Amino acid sequence: MKLHHNICPRNCYDTCSIVSTTSNGVLISVEGNPHHEYTSGKLCSKALDDVKKVYSPQRVRYPMRQRGRYSGFWERITWDEALGLISEKILSLKEQYGTSLPLALNKYSGNFGILHNAMEGLFTGIGATTRAVGSPCWSAGVEAQTLDFGTYFCSDPLDMAQAKLIWLWGVNPVWTAVHQMPIIFDAIDHGAKVVCFDTHFSATAARSHQFIQVRPGTDGLLALGFAKVLLEENLMDPNLSDYTAGCEEFIHYLETKISLSHCSEVTGVPMSTIRELALEYGQTNPACIWAGFGLQRYTNGGQTLRAIDALGAFAGHLGKQGGGVQYAQFETWRFSGEISGDKPSSDKINSMDRNLNINRFSDEALSCTDPPVKMLWISGRNPLSQDGNLQRWKKLINQLDLIVVSDLFHSKSSEAADIFLPVTTHYEHWDVNAGYWHYWVGVNEPAISPVGESRSDLQIAWDVSSQLNHLTPGSCTFPTSGNEKETLLRELGPQMLEILGLENPEDILKGPVRAKFSRTAWENRTFATPTGRYEFFSTQAANAQLPPLPIFVPPLSPSINTPLRLLTPHHHSTINSQAYALDTRKTDFILYLAPELAQLYDLVAGDRAQIRNEFGQLNVIVHPEFGFSTDIVVIFQEQVDANFPLNRLLGTPSTDMGQITLGAPGFALNETFVNLRKL
Amino acid sequence: MVKQLGFLLNVNRCLGCGACAKACQNKNQLPPLLRWRQVRMVEKLSIDHIQKFYLSTACNHCGNPECLRVCPAGAYAKRRDGIVLHFSEKCTGCKSCVASCPFGAPQINPQTNKATKCQLCYERLDQGMSPSCVQACLTGALELKEVRDIPVNQLLRLTAPVPSLRLTRPSVFYKPPRETKV
Ligand code: SF4
Ligand code: SF4
Ligand code: SF4
Repeated sequence: MKLHHNICPRNCYDTCSIVSTTSNGVLISVEGNPHHEYTSGKLCSKALDDVKKVYSPQRVRYPMRQRGRYSGFWERITWDEALGLISEKILSLKEQYGTSLPLALNKYSGNFGILHNAMEGLFTGIGATTRAVGSPCWSAGVEAQTLDFGTYFCSDPLDMAQAKLIWLWGVNPVWTAVHQMPIIFDAIDHGAKVVCFDTHFSATAARSHQFIQVRPGTDGLLALGFAKVLLEENLMDPNLSDYTAGCEEFIHYLETKISLSHCSEVTGVPMSTIRELALEYGQTNPACIWAGFGLQRYTNGGQTLRAIDALGAFAGHLGKQGGGVQYAQFETWRFSGEISGDKPSSDKINSMDRNLNINRFSDEALSCTDPPVKMLWISGRNPLSQDGNLQRWKKLINQLDLIVVSDLFHSKSSEAADIFLPVTTHYEHWDVNAGYWHYWVGVNEPAISPVGESRSDLQIAWDVSSQLNHLTPGSCTFPTSGNEKETLLRELGPQMLEILGLENPEDILKGPVRAKFSRTAWENRTFATPTGRYEFFSTQAANAQLPPLPIFVPPLSPSINTPLRLLTPHHHSTINSQAYALDTRKTDFILYLAPELAQLYDLVAGDRAQIRNEFGQLNVIVHPEFGFSTDIVVIFQEQVDANFPLNRLLGTPSTDMGQITLGAPGFALNETFVNLRKL
Repeated sequence: MVKQLGFLLNVNRCLGCGACAKACQNKNQLPPLLRWRQVRMVEKLSIDHIQKFYLSTACNHCGNPECLRVCPAGAYAKRRDGIVLHFSEKCTGCKSCVASCPFGAPQINPQTNKATKCQLCYERLDQGMSPSCVQACLTGALELKEVRDIPVNQLLRLTAPVPSLRLTRPSVFYKPPRETKV
């Protein structure tokens, strides 16, 4: 029996440290690492399926080639054949168009390990290429916090244990960030009160003292309503002038434009509740807000987060232990960037890249004509299950010469692929991972050798580069071979070592390390904004044609033809299309809705119904449940073996923010409207 | 009986996440449809409050086990620490225990046609470790205790819609659930 350090690489708040056990080279169990302060020896139930997943019979073990897209007729090929087909295509496209721009990479968060950036490195090595940029996830919130604070940085999650009042706003940690819950429960045991704000009575609401149902997309106005009460009651921080900019303008806006009755009417929260909550928030110290990713997936998402930040600042809760407005952080991700080819010293070949918004990828790729996009590599992603605008995707697929998908299992995206490359799991390769919520960074070491003929993304990138250079010497500057472990140690450059307080990169091999940041964000109230202050009024926003103040902008409204808002939040069993629950596959989508709404549509539990809009339709089973408002219907993102994916109903509305910070706005997923009818 | 071990569930900390049940399945290599530990949801609504919580339950290792009493093959035994054990070697698959347990704890394994149930991870306990389910619980909601050490006045017995509750004396307690104001 041997023990190994691993890290869960999924796009999840917790980024757990894992101890895996092998016997004779076979993975037999995985457990949490007790020496990790945040995850403290526990794993969520998704990771508990890992052993089964690694050895799942469904896992693709060999490179495959599909005879006819969507045919499902896959034949096994050798790596040499696969690499040959890919490399020849790359070279012939370069030759034909005189540029490598017809090659496109669409990669995101299937595995957040740093060595997976080898894919970016490979493409950079080939030359200027077409890339998916931005994020389907957090762009609006990231940008809002960057405008307000100068960057996005949260307190150590353990800091929340000090709070006396915790507002969980648009976040459902019971399902999506389980390791935060013991910290919140400890705070409750020490007398803290927890209030949950959401569009529906979530599992987190059920574990809170109070639940506030907010009409979707109106959270920003609610925050401004709270600030108005603080103003009326003179409960703002008396020292605001010392560390904020634009407070006068903000106060003027509250005085002239915000009325509590209007706020109550729009948000659906009674006036008396708004007043009570605001007083509690203004008078309790420390009070913490955790703003989730859910509330910024609207066309006004960035403004919403700016309003919530402003409320936290106005009440004087910023920079206080157990206080603040927590969203996420990226300060522990200062890797050298050598592998992705964006090392500052390298001559920026990729500044010539053609960057397409990841959320409108199909549309933008189709509009590229000079030269067109001809080859697509999908890695760490499943856009045909997650992206909107599927019809445009279909069209794009038709115009492509070659589609390569690297993954563990077949997916909606691989149905359209020509070549499938089997990749290793995080139990089969070296990597280094950081959290975006907690401050821990650690190494993932291989516990077993690759299953079947699977290869790591880094190995694949080396192999492609090697083949390219073999066919045409000098055609790719990415390395053609190397050592995984050494490559990962090189990513821990001087900056990361300093952040982690390590002498040598090798020190990280002993176990995960917590970055040396103070536990409380913005502790000294010096901010990273141009003024060095918290900015109620942001010149940067104004320069980007955004409102300089955190004013309320209404979300989109439903229409007569599509009167209901469809929300598709995460389910506890999956992270987006990453499938975990191997033995509980469902065959139908379940549509949750308020009993009154069900009645209105003459539906009872178990009825079959159809939701539809201009993008498509989907059959569902109806499940009326208490705790949903009557203007929404909800389908949780579960693994469902239906004929059509849930995302066939999605367009690609964009959030208001994300362009400055991440190069593209986010996906306003929650601005999806549908009609409902009984079948 | 020298001791009586039992489960204590703090329902205010239980997330209903099922990590306990999954850890049990992994540890005991149970076939997909067999679950020794299960999580079920309980919901009560009033005008301005919702009480919604989860109960993670397995065999209750009763003080007075009905399974043991009815089993004609003598396949059940109660250890000195209170653990109710089932020996599959002796089990004939007659299902008497399945029918008699008020909590549905013993189930027939479709692969062996014999009864099976939670054995309270006695091999782990004998090595000084906690049961797999308790070990896996993320929030500390599920604990294993010597039941006589629990201050019973603050606790509720695990309820079940059956009269035989007092008869079997299940060794499972839970903290009274909190409500959410809406
Ligand atoms: S709960 Fe049922 S199976 Fe368990 S000890 Fe009691 S009677 Fe036996
Ligand atoms: S004590 Fe062991 S066997 Fe019983 S439910 Fe827990 S994990 Fe399963
Ligand atoms: S692991 Fe703990 S929190 Fe999760 S369902 Fe089981 S008892 Fe509840």
